[in-house]
Order: sequence, then structure tokens, then C-alpha cells
Amino acid sequence: MHTFSSPSFRAGAREGFRTFLPLSVGLIPWALVTGMSMVGIGMTPLQAMGMNVIVFAGTAQLGTLPLIAAGAPLWLIVATALALNLRFVIFSAAIAQGFRGHGSGARWFCGHLLTDGVFATCMAKMLETDDKNWRLGYYLAPSLWSWLLWQTFALTGVLAAGSIPKNWSLEFMATIALMVLLIPMAKMRPMLVAAAAGGATAVLLNGLPLKLGLFAAIFVGIGAGLAADHWQGRREGTA
Amino acid sequence: MTPPTFDASLWLIFVLVGLATTLPRASFIVLGSRVALPSLVQRALRYAPAAALAAIVVPDVLLVAGEFSPLNPKLAAAAAAAGAALLSRNPWLPFIAGMGVLLALRLGFGL
Repeated sequence: MHTFSSPSFRAGAREGFRTFLPLSVGLIPWALVTGMSMVGIGMTPLQAMGMNVIVFAGTAQLGTLPLIAAGAPLWLIVATALALNLRFVIFSAAIAQGFRGHGSGARWFCGHLLTDGVFATCMAKMLETDDKNWRLGYYLAPSLWSWLLWQTFALTGVLAAGSIPKNWSLEFMATIALMVLLIPMAKMRPMLVAAAAGGATAVLLNGLPLKLGLFAAIFVGIGAGLAADHWQGRREGTA
Repeated sequence: MTPPTFDASLWLIFVLVGLATTLPRASFIVLGSRVALPSLVQRALRYAPAAALAAIVVPDVLLVAGEFSPLNPKLAAAAAAAGAALLSRNPWLPFIAGMGVLLALRLGFGL
């Protein structure tokens, strides 16, 4: 407990929380929508909150809901979640140096809590600060705050969804949420190519059994994105 | 009592999807700087989320019961939500616009 009571841990925690607080408001609609969508596909409140605590990832939760609802095979659900989460491998590699001096227990715990918002907010200072306790506080305060907001507002969504009529098609909120995540990515040309190729392949191969088309579409999309990236790089190189 | 929609295997899904989330997140934080990713792999990983999101969303709004159907309420709702997301920074507006169009077409016009 020495770490958590140290003045530098507390100073780091205060600063991390202050920096992240205004941004954290953006989590609220996501958590509400995720809560409502989970109930929308037929989960009980207990199942929905179980998923929310175990998975703790809006994109992976929303992205797997249509597959869970359709009764897709387990391996495809897990593969889709992995594809949606692969960006975290890059975030994890980028922020890893910020945990120098800490043991593997703290690293697993911090890794589990890694989110896009905290990564974007905290990475720079995590790398440049020497005091390891300050760094841990600076990372954990906004991470735990995100966790708390996520659980609280997902629960609010879960409870609110129960009082909304079934024919309001709440499950479509998951589709809207996934689109809202996709749109800023697709503003970059190679990303747009990856999305267009992935989307088109998924439609064309929709008839394949076991939703194999989705799996193929992810690979086609990655390949198309890489090809567009390569092509764009060559054009810029010769210009 | 209506029968449950999902059986106990749902919890297995949660645990595996949870692992598929925590392992990528913790990967390099736990491994430290002992391992480095080849740059081709790093670049390929960047495109996985966009490809996966589009592969889920596009069939959902273009197909009705497995058939290509460009004029369906979900596509109109998706267009309204995308327009709201592009034109406004309000995080609620895409949901209000998209659900508003979908409910108006389905409940109002019975489509």
C-alpha cells in the first residue's frame, strides 16, 4: 500500500483526473447506448452487467452483440472481438515504457483498464515523467474514473431499456454506435479503403455459412488498407 | 415466465470476449520492451478495427433477411445518423437522428 499513500502517487492522480475529467463526459452516451443495446438483443439485466464488467470495452461489446444475437459460432465472435481490439496492441506497445519500475501485478491491472481515451490523454506525460508512483497515479485515476462512469451509465441504460417498448428497435442503436466509431477513422484515405473493402466483401459473402463472410471481410479490408497505404506512400514518395 | 433468450454459454462468450480484450490491452504493458512488433504487422493492425466495423455495419444496413435491399428504413436511418455524426460534434445527435428516422418509418409509415 506504500505506493498508493505516497504524496507523488496522489499528486499524479489529481493531475490525471483533472486532465481527463472534461473528456470523460464523452463516455456517457456510449455507456448508455451499450447498456440499452445489450438489453435490446434480449439479455437480462444481470447478463448485460456481467458482460459490462467482464469485457469493459464499448467497441468489442457493441461489435459482438449482432453476432451473439444471430447465434454466430463462438470462434467467430471471439475473432471479431480480437479484430476490434487489435488497436490496443499498438496502444499497449506505445505506452509500455510508462510502467517502467512497476511489477507485473500492477501491469496486468493497468493493462485491463487501458482505454482509447486514457491512452490518448496520458501517454505523453507517462513517458516523460521519472517518478514511477506519480506515473501510476496519473494513469490509474482517470482509468478507474472511466471504469466507474462506464459501469454506472451502462447500468442506467440497462434499467432504462426495460421501460421502452420492444418495437422501438433499440438494437439499431448498436449499429449507429458502430457507425459513429467508424466515421472519424474513415476520414483517412487508406482507412476508408479498408472499410469500403471490408463492407463490400461482407455484403457479397453474406450467404456463406457460419458468417464466414465477416471473417473473410476483415482480412480483405486489412489487405486493402495496407495496399492503399503502400500505394499512397509511393505516390507521395515520387511527388 | 417467458423462457430465457440465452443459455449459460453466454457467460463463456463474455469470458472469451473479455480475454480477447484484456490480452491485447495488457500485451506490451506486461511484456515491457522485451518484444517489438515488426512494422508491417503494426501497419496491418491499424486497419483491423475499420475493416471489422464496416464488415458488421454495412451488411446490417444494406441487407434485409439476407437480400440486398437498398431502399429499407435502416439505410435511411443510417444515412441520417451518419449525416449527424459528420455535421455535428454533439455525441447524442447521431442516435436521435438515426432512431428518429427509423421509428418514424417503421411505426409511422409501417415500413
